Amino acid sequence: MDGSEARKTKIEVRNLTKRFGDLLVLDEISFNVGEGEFLSIVGPTGCGKTTFLNTLSKLIPSTAGDIFIDGEIADPKKHHLSFVFQEPTCMPWRTVRENVAYGMEVKHVPKVEMEKKLDQIMGMVGLSDCAGLYPNQISASMLQRIAVARAFAVNPDLLLMDEPYGQLDVKLRYYLEDELVRLWEHLKSTVIFVTHNIEEAVYISERILILSNKPAKIKAEVKVDLPRPRSLIDPRLVEIRKEVTELIRWW
Amino acid sequence: MAYEQVKVKTPLILRLLPILSIITFFGTWQLVVDWEIVPSTMLASPIQIFQLFLVKWTEVNPDGALLSQHIWTSVQEAFTGYLLALLVGIPLGLAMGWFIVVEGLSRPIFEMIRPIPPVAWIPLVIFWFGIGISGKVFIIWIGGIVPCVINSYEGVRMTNPTLIQMARTYGATDWQIFKQICIPSALPMVFGALQIALACCWTNLVAAELLAADVGLGFLITMGRKLALPDMVLLGMIMIGLTGVVIGVVINYFEKRLLAGIRR
Ligand SMILES: Nc1ncnc2c1ncn2[C@@H]1O[C@H](COP(=O)(O)OP(=O)(O)OP(=O)(O)O)[C@@H](O)[C@H]1O
Ligand SMILES: [Mg+2]
Repeated sequence: MDGSEARKTKIEVRNLTKRFGDLLVLDEISFNVGEGEFLSIVGPTGCGKTTFLNTLSKLIPSTAGDIFIDGEIADPKKHHLSFVFQEPTCMPWRTVRENVAYGMEVKHVPKVEMEKKLDQIMGMVGLSDCAGLYPNQISASMLQRIAVARAFAVNPDLLLMDEPYGQLDVKLRYYLEDELVRLWEHLKSTVIFVTHNIEEAVYISERILILSNKPAKIKAEVKVDLPRPRSLIDPRLVEIRKEVTELIRWW
Repeated sequence: MAYEQVKVKTPLILRLLPILSIITFFGTWQLVVDWEIVPSTMLASPIQIFQLFLVKWTEVNPDGALLSQHIWTSVQEAFTGYLLALLVGIPLGLAMGWFIVVEGLSRPIFEMIRPIPPVAWIPLVIFWFGIGISGKVFIIWIGGIVPCVINSYEGVRMTNPTLIQMARTYGATDWQIFKQICIPSALPMVFGALQIALACCWTNLVAAELLAADVGLGFLITMGRKLALPDMVLLGMIMIGLTGVVIGVVINYFEKRLLAGIRR
């Protein structure tokens, strides 16, 4: 894994700027993401990470700058975007399986193909057993898995994740991180993963962008060029973690 | 599992006290009339009312219709108005909650009509429809539509915004979001409106019949007053209450069934 230069550029973010009135939150952010890359973004609380993802996904309009997918301006109606939110997003009136199917339903994926994809994804995230249950009958970690499964199911051009595991306890988080990496390796999606947690970022991603305090700018970029499966006590990983922590000390 | 029922045994005292209270109430009432503490031209005793109740199943006079006809007419009118109110009010409220154009166009008119008590329409309605069924249906409709619109509107407004964002990122259209996210999430509120609207409809019906009717439970009361028959007035009142309770129980049953259907 030799960083993004070797592979085709999938996502191009150019001078992305966002203001809320006078408040400048995102200040001319530019970077590329390679096809199938796993990119993490870390930044201090309130620096604008969620705003950043919302602008990327077109949930809110940017003040200036734009995002290109395969050279075209990104459009949720045309490109396949997925967003895993900080909080679980399950529709209580749908079963687990129907919840996972939602993204594909919106995109009018043919029935047969949809069922096949559902079987595959549900198996990979360990949801097959509770496919027929309703969200209020399963645990919190399962709820977030639904969102992750739904996101991968649409073969996204770009998958955005906003601290999806922030609320969960450490053990469960490790487990779900491994699962996430497995899904990504299998389905080869391009992922932008936002987190507070430096260890998490180093453990799962290929490259880390470090944002500065508000207004957010890209302050540094760190490559995580380690083979998988990784170990949290691998000295090289610990080394990179220290490096990132060091960069963050300057905030 | 929030909807699982927990059976709690009612304490003995809570089962005895209501019986005691009812016996005391009717007993006192009976004695008050028997001992002529209140003259019989002003109040009828429970036993007299019950006798009239039995007689009215087979005797048309003096008001011109059997008790069953009064009940049936009232129920028919109430349900016609009620169903029309649901049919118009719920879709309108749902659409107002999501589509800005619908809200912008209909809100001012809705807000103008809302504070007018439905009975205030009665004179106009008599000009327009006479005293037949359609006029009363109109009054019931206009009273029942208000809670339908408000609840459906609020239901859509209370949709979890993250669910809407989630749908948007998948490229869902406004119509898809409305159909797939807003409506299902508003359903519990909409079902809540079924009860409230029914109560409105039933009350308005009786008010409408008091002023303009030739059959119906409200009309029975009016006739009782005109003929100075307190037992008939009271029979009408009690039948309105009882029928209202029965309808309420039926609607409650359906509401529970519907809710259980959408959320386990
Ligand atoms: N709609 C808005 N209007 C005005 N200001 C906003 C709006 N949304 C966010 N902000 C401001 O933008 C800044 C960044 O917010 P944002 O939620 O993106 O930060 P964050 O990095 O995601 O924070 P956290 O780590 O807590 O999730 C905050 O100072 C916030 O006050
Ligand atoms: Mg945030």
